[in-house]
Amino acid sequence: MESMFQEEGSSSVTSSPLQFFSMMSLSPSMGSPYPWHRELKSEERGLCLIHLLLTCANHVAAGSLENANTILEQISQLASPDGDTMQRIAAYFTEALADRILKTWPGLHRALNSTRIVMVSEEILVQKLFFEFFPFLKVAYILTNQAIVEAMEGEKMVHIIDLNAAEPAQWIALLQALSARPEGPPHLRITGVHQQKEVLDQMAHKLIEEAEKLDIPFQFNPVVSKLENLDFDKLRVKTGEALAISSILQLHSLLALDDDASRRKSPLLLKNSNATHLHKVLLMNQSTLGDLLEKDMVNGYSPSPDSASSSPASSTASMNSESFLNALWGLSPKVMVVTEQDSNHNGSTLMERLLEALYSYAALFDCLESTVSRASMERLKIEKMLFGEEIKNIIACEGAERKERHEKMDKWIQRLDLSGFGNVPVSYYAMLQARRFLQSYGCEGYRMREENGSVMICWQDRSLFSTTAWRSRK
Amino acid sequence: MEHQSPSHSSAPQPPPRKKRSLPGMPDPDAEVIALSPKTLLATNRFVCEICNKGFQRDQNLQLHRRGHNLPWKLRQRGSNEPRKKAYVCPEPSCVHHNPARALGDLTGIKKHFCRKHGVKKWQCERCSKKYAVHSDWKAHMKTCGTREYRCDCGTLFSRRDSFITHRAFCDVLAQESAMAQIQAQGATNSKAAAVVSSPPTPPLTPSVSPTLSIQSSEIPENPTKKLSPTSSNAMTNSGTSTVFASVLASAATATTSSQSPSSSTCSFSNLMSNLECPNATSLSLSTPLYLSTNNPPHYSTSNAPALSATALLQKAAQMGASNASLRRGLGLATSSSYQCVNISATTTPKWNDRVKQENQPQVDSLGLRLPCGSGGVTDVMMGPSTPFVGQPMTRDLLGLGMGGGASSTGGLSALLSSFGGNFESSSGEGGVHHL
Repeated sequence: MESMFQEEGSSSVTSSPLQFFSMMSLSPSMGSPYPWHRELKSEERGLCLIHLLLTCANHVAAGSLENANTILEQISQLASPDGDTMQRIAAYFTEALADRILKTWPGLHRALNSTRIVMVSEEILVQKLFFEFFPFLKVAYILTNQAIVEAMEGEKMVHIIDLNAAEPAQWIALLQALSARPEGPPHLRITGVHQQKEVLDQMAHKLIEEAEKLDIPFQFNPVVSKLENLDFDKLRVKTGEALAISSILQLHSLLALDDDASRRKSPLLLKNSNATHLHKVLLMNQSTLGDLLEKDMVNGYSPSPDSASSSPASSTASMNSESFLNALWGLSPKVMVVTEQDSNHNGSTLMERLLEALYSYAALFDCLESTVSRASMERLKIEKMLFGEEIKNIIACEGAERKERHEKMDKWIQRLDLSGFGNVPVSYYAMLQARRFLQSYGCEGYRMREENGSVMICWQDRSLFSTTAWRSRK
Repeated sequence: MEHQSPSHSSAPQPPPRKKRSLPGMPDPDAEVIALSPKTLLATNRFVCEICNKGFQRDQNLQLHRRGHNLPWKLRQRGSNEPRKKAYVCPEPSCVHHNPARALGDLTGIKKHFCRKHGVKKWQCERCSKKYAVHSDWKAHMKTCGTREYRCDCGTLFSRRDSFITHRAFCDVLAQESAMAQIQAQGATNSKAAAVVSSPPTPPLTPSVSPTLSIQSSEIPENPTKKLSPTSSNAMTNSGTSTVFASVLASAATATTSSQSPSSSTCSFSNLMSNLECPNATSLSLSTPLYLSTNNPPHYSTSNAPALSATALLQKAAQMGASNASLRRGLGLATSSSYQCVNISATTTPKWNDRVKQENQPQVDSLGLRLPCGSGGVTDVMMGPSTPFVGQPMTRDLLGLGMGGGASSTGGLSALLSSFGGNFESSSGEGGVHHL
């Protein structure tokens, strides 16, 4: 390490770009590593961390691993998963960057991850923690349920498809609401999709229990499946039944199925071809992806002339986001409520994603800082197992592996519109309930606003999640 | 609870209860009767066939007929059970003129006709509200002026539901409740009323005090007197909202220890007991049920000294943006290198000193081949304060605008560019991998 310092001698002061940086790496006595770190105030340290992170990311994007390594060393002195907000954020971002670097040695990466034990129970727990420690899901449930109740007014048979049936609270609330209907509750059927059978069993148990108490005729159909492999026949949608679909934070992973290199799909072609045509461009070599992606790809659909020559369905013949949405449309739901993260973490370059993710996760970490103690183990779990993993996915992964492809709700609105859905504006009453809930939640940082028929749930001014409701246009 | 068949449609809990027809959806077996307005409004519809005396009610007529000492045969009015009757409104343009939307109650149709199509003969003196039906007027007189709801923004309401609706959207209230939240953190059980918190000095008019006592019967545990009358009636109007919120809130409470007192209204006490809510006690619906467990325990204690991460990012971006222009302004090297100088006016002197001391001599021993260009490091102390040029940029940073994806990173990108554009082109030392 020392030798590294000495080998570089730029005589002019202008060689060091970062004042901060130079200050950082210096110490009166070269022997003790950065003693003055301790003296940094939280704010200065935070600013320092931001700059280091950005610098490091730049190096990583440029491929200068040695430099990146040095900076990682720097950051690790300052960052900590137990520290203040910025320290925690930096810890997870640097881990993600390190993971990304490591992937350039695939063998090494695989070896290091080979003995990881995936604790399903912990993963399930962390989802529950996300539900409990934030209002986002609860507001989404309130909005979703209200949209469903309104759409199902007068219906005697209601079928709901939950694309991620993990939290019984949502449907328990709906059961309660339906039983209070003036015309009495409908016959209710819920089809829950999830990867883990245990989760579905638990959900079935809780919901059946609740339905029995309320004397509502009820059925729960579990479908154990990944969303991308979902067999729509298994959903058993009957013609003519009143169908509602609830999709909470699920659709973005489908974007990973779309090919990164070419998002130029002709929407017209898709529609004309009865939505069965898949456009696929050959997946590019993962390691060169970052360099080759063009900026404008992230800007959503731009019908391009050359996509008329659509390649035949790829060999994998699997879903992409459009075919999935089209298939949903094909079920003719009366209402479909979509909740997604409202941030663009799907930029084509690393830097874009990192910058955007910094803002979003800063807000999320701030939420926790404002409401949960630093010593809380639950907070740590959420930060590490939920946010940390998302950050790692956004930063370190590419191609089909990168599932956390959050995008701004505008993009989703475009896609849904293209797939034949018409926006159903959020009702006054739904907003009222959601607002009242948020007001009573007791943390004034959480805010809500409505724009163009969609609802955004924000922390301070930053919109984090957004909910929209749709019906299938014929 | 055992249920015979899940497909059995919902029946009210005591089975042989006579079901009340839904308004506007009459019993299909009912006999539809169309009365003329004159007959409808006639006060004495029931006429004794013997002496032609008119009575307002059938019961009164029966009583009167007894007095005629009728022989047994003639005493029976009709052998059959009176068929259920449904009445249509005589006004042709009315919805209820259609037999399918007939009303099942004679009194009901009379009142309806008067209210909708009649002349408002009765007027309240206090608020000059007019009524066509005498009983409506009487009912109003009971409550007019007795209960007043005042929002913190100063608007006065006589009706609970309009008051609640207003409050949900009142900006003033939102701000104040935020403030009150912070203040209320100290108090242990203030959660219950924190929702609708107004500042302790009761904006409620004195006339509300009887209201409060009424409230207290509904709300046995009202820890503070700040509780505004938001309870049960609101909930019956907005049944679903409570349901959702209460379920969600209670579901959350299940695993933690905070109290989430449940409501006293019957259906919702069921709800509360069903969910694993510990120590459910009675309380007004709206407020506590929305509470989730981890309601802000540490509201700002740990935050007060430290900037939030969002604020830090903002600051960094501003510095990045401003530094570029600053340096140009100062005639320093163009390829803007980042100057961390003015973190804030509150930067510790120590830090500044250090910056001064360690400035020149040791920079070059940094030893990192960071290809970035000029570092005009010389002029560390830039001046009293960093001109925060980026005010609009700041806003953009936070992605306030829709689709502000690009703009949200504007500031930090500026920061990045202040590092010099040479990063990307660097080929670095050996072992370069394009990542």
